[in-house]
Amino acid sequence: MRDDPTVVALVTRAAASDQGAWDEIVDRYAPLVWSICTGFRLSTHDVEDVAQNVWLLLVGQLGTLREPAALPGWLATTTRRECLRVVTAARRSERLGTELDEAAQFVADTVVDEEILAAERNAALRAAFAELPPRCQQLLSMLLSDPPRSYGTISTTLDIPIGSIGPQRARCLERMRKSSALLGLADVGVNFPGGDPGA
Amino acid sequence: MRNGWDDEQLLGALGEAMRARQAVPSWFVEMGKNAYAWHNIDAELAQLTYDSQAETKEPAFVRSEAASIRALTFTSARLSLELEVGENSLIGQVIPPQAGTLETHTKDGLTTSRVDESGYFAVEPIPASPFRLRFQTAGGGVDVVTGWITL
Repeated sequence: MRDDPTVVALVTRAAASDQGAWDEIVDRYAPLVWSICTGFRLSTHDVEDVAQNVWLLLVGQLGTLREPAALPGWLATTTRRECLRVVTAARRSERLGTELDEAAQFVADTVVDEEILAAERNAALRAAFAELPPRCQQLLSMLLSDPPRSYGTISTTLDIPIGSIGPQRARCLERMRKSSALLGLADVGVNFPGGDPGA
Repeated sequence: MRNGWDDEQLLGALGEAMRARQAVPSWFVEMGKNAYAWHNIDAELAQLTYDSQAETKEPAFVRSEAASIRALTFTSARLSLELEVGENSLIGQVIPPQAGTLETHTKDGLTTSRVDESGYFAVEPIPASPFRLRFQTAGGGVDVVTGWITL
């Protein structure tokens, strides 16, 4: 088991000069920041600009975040604001009006809640996966690989009989389901809806 | 069913989470991690107070050779950093002259250069934009950092 994986603990440790905790915050939420930037279709240069500002702002506010648990929301809002700043600057130079800016603002407001929930869910799933024993991680990785590996290949690579792949898969997933990361997710009321809400 | 996730859904959701992570380029994550270098840094900020390029608006062909070297000055309450942008390097001086170290911070990390007793330093090659410079004396009595510089 790792140290307490909750966001509050990570923020507290990072504020107390723990680089490891900071790295974990970035690992967890870089996909959230990235997906928001991708949604705005920014150039690589603008994405760098946005991300640089978002992380520097967070570093500067680690000790004063009013609700560390709301970090994903803070990150999403800050990223969105930085993206809008870049987009607005670009539009101004193209002499387009404010209507587009308002449209961008509306789109940004509506997609963001869903993105925060998905980011929370994904971070918890990756944390739960990281808590699994290496054998389980290998098995699940192979089952998820693209293109999919045959049971024959998995059996040879992991040196387990084909007949026990199914039962082991079930045991690994059950273990994941009971991990503190996923139980914590249930506590805060983020339920997996049984499918991708965006699909 | 705990959490309402059956095996297929859980595996599918895990796959989605993994793909979301894999979609993020490593430079993007590294940049985030490097930002922590600015944690608990209460260096004094030196503001840009002079930029030769901002002063000279005429096109390059009417400028004299000497004027084509870009000069920048950053000023804090205690000292100034004067910078000249050469072809392959940044040459600069701390005013009033004093020895110390100069850190060049970019999104990829930092490099360190020596500042001699006359306050002179050189950064080679020219760092990728944006970057910022931080000057410290050996005893730590002086700690000054510029804002982000884009050349």
